[in-house]
Amino acid sequence: MGTEFTLYLYSGDASAAASASEEVFEEIDRVEQLLSNYRDSSELSRINQNAGTAPVTTDPEMLNFLAQSERWSRASDGAFDITVGRLMKAYGFFKHEGRVPSDAELGELRAVTGWQKVELDPAARTVHFAVPGVELDPGGIGKGFAVDAAVRILRADHISAAMLSAGSSTVYALGAPPHQAGWRIVVPGPLPSKDTLSVITLRDTSLSSADCSQKNFTLGGHFYCHIMDPRTMRPVEGRVQVSIVDPSATASDALSNVIFVETPEHSVATLKAYAPEARALIVSGDAEHARCTAFRWGEPVDSAHCVLH
Amino acid sequence: MNRRDFLQSASAAAIASSTIARAATPAVKPVRLGVIGAGSRGQEDLRQFLHVPGVSVEAICDIYPPRYEQVNHLAGKEVPHTTDYNELLARNDIDAVLIASPVGCHAEHVIAAARSGRPIYGEKALGFTVEDNHNILEAVTKNKVLFQIGHEYRYAAWAQEAVRRVHAGDIGTPTHIYAYWHRNGNWRRSVPSPDPDGKLEHLLNWRLYRETSGGLSTELGSHHIDMANWVFGEQPESIIGTNSICIYHDGRTVGDNVQAVFSYSGGRRLVFSSITDNAKVGCEFWIYGTAGCVEITIEDATIYYEKKKSSDAPSADKAVSKTVVERGVTTGASYSTAGEMPYRGPGEKIVTASSEDPTLAAVRSFTEAVRGEHAIFADVHCGFRAAIACSVAHDAVFAEIKMPIPAAKL
Repeated sequence: MGTEFTLYLYSGDASAAASASEEVFEEIDRVEQLLSNYRDSSELSRINQNAGTAPVTTDPEMLNFLAQSERWSRASDGAFDITVGRLMKAYGFFKHEGRVPSDAELGELRAVTGWQKVELDPAARTVHFAVPGVELDPGGIGKGFAVDAAVRILRADHISAAMLSAGSSTVYALGAPPHQAGWRIVVPGPLPSKDTLSVITLRDTSLSSADCSQKNFTLGGHFYCHIMDPRTMRPVEGRVQVSIVDPSATASDALSNVIFVETPEHSVATLKAYAPEARALIVSGDAEHARCTAFRWGEPVDSAHCVLH
Repeated sequence: MNRRDFLQSASAAAIASSTIARAATPAVKPVRLGVIGAGSRGQEDLRQFLHVPGVSVEAICDIYPPRYEQVNHLAGKEVPHTTDYNELLARNDIDAVLIASPVGCHAEHVIAAARSGRPIYGEKALGFTVEDNHNILEAVTKNKVLFQIGHEYRYAAWAQEAVRRVHAGDIGTPTHIYAYWHRNGNWRRSVPSPDPDGKLEHLLNWRLYRETSGGLSTELGSHHIDMANWVFGEQPESIIGTNSICIYHDGRTVGDNVQAVFSYSGGRRLVFSSITDNAKVGCEFWIYGTAGCVEITIEDATIYYEKKKSSDAPSADKAVSKTVVERGVTTGASYSTAGEMPYRGPGEKIVTASSEDPTLAAVRSFTEAVRGEHAIFADVHCGFRAAIACSVAHDAVFAEIKMPIPAAKL
């Protein structure tokens, strides 16, 4: 997933802490081997290589991953969609290069993009692509899935206070540091200039963020963000950054893409309908003229630099 | 809504709404697995087994209760469990047995499974002691059961192609193999506390104690020894080695580093090194031959050709030699270090049609063999020839003297 994972944990015993953290990173490695589309031998790559030809038998965990992905596609009417593998490659984001596909190319890509083309049969434990050439890219939900798996390990090891960060774009706050109500998370912005947009304290929940600062390119004076609207097949414009809290890191990771793609109005409606425990902070416009939408956020926001709507 | 409800409703939604392509997968004979030893390796094997159509897990045997929930999560259903492997073997809904218990238990479990008449996928090493290995080989042979050893790299497409090329002579005569498995980590599993008497420590960290483990030379070296046997076509005759504890003075009684030289016929050697405080080299298996070498790793293989220095065959009639005589040689000035360092350059990556996970390839092949489609490739004899070397190595690396490795009695 090309992401650096960082773990902070409290323990009364140094060697128990070392063992637990080793198990966490082993579990993350295992999920990487399950989901990575950069590794030919991963289970996801095996599905990409074969599911266009015939149904591929897979394991319950992978099916669960695909079912969760489908759920968020359905809930967001396709604003979230993991079938964007070919689309991401066409824009050069897969290899950090950057190009703009032609309309003709996008037309061809439309034929192999779309969450409805992934057919899951949980009873038979199979996944099949209705059309050959579909390619799954787990980038919008894989980190959250890995974080949830790692947190299961921490709980099984009876670790009661820890923070796990997946490249800082998905963090899970387990318990709280001693004498604190929770783990302190600083949401910077509006990016790229300001240090602090809001500070939130979290306990036993996750926060995922999305913005364009890490993966983007500029071509012909135009800035292209790596976060796609799968329905238009083009990078999102007019959104600066989003942050979302949800007890499931898989959900918050996927939802961070949903609320980056959808308008703030649609995002609020989607969260009300499908994520009863979510809290979100959405920044639209641009860094100099930022507009903030806070949904159940519950913490002060720097409204001097981000006008609250 | 708690997470379990959410997941179940997500699955239900998937069934209700997506077009289900049934009957596209041809019907296969079901293979119902029983698992003895459902720890980390057993679960990985099981995970890959569940990628093979028609395979299910019907029961597990493990004496460590947290495994039950881990397997239920992996299998997506409640799997019956027991602490008594005889109870598992007495079930009438088990077609094949996966044995992934600690190596010290392999003999007891494999022999019992063989007597029950089921095909067995047995994790490496075949057995722990020399006697265990002889007994397992005898039981599997006498009971005529299918047995596949968990040397999954035999099924890796890149390893198969690399060894094929070596056997075809592409690197000349292979004489030396240098095999490394270097890591940076203490090899410990997390042990819940309290742990009075250290029982859990010895159960979960069995790899660290001499009574239950052959240490690095068995747990990691068995793969490399098996691959060397595959290349050289035989098992080693003797071993000389050493081990020590350099860094991890934590009560373990196996070394945290091992160096061993295994001797094969004709002066050929396998040199094995495993250290646990530096990961630069990782897992590399180098086959050195008279005309080149091959590097096999756990994810790819690369071949290097060495330039021929001279030819003994007369060449006066050959076209290139005639040109030199007729036209002369053009002078020039050049200096090249290629004589001493002929391998500079990236080598030729061995490209294969499949980069499939070797464990998946191995368990799929076993399942096909159980269905009668073909014979087993990495069979009990293959397992014996690696494990017997490991069981002598246990002691040899402490004794630091040359010790002979016995052949199979059958």
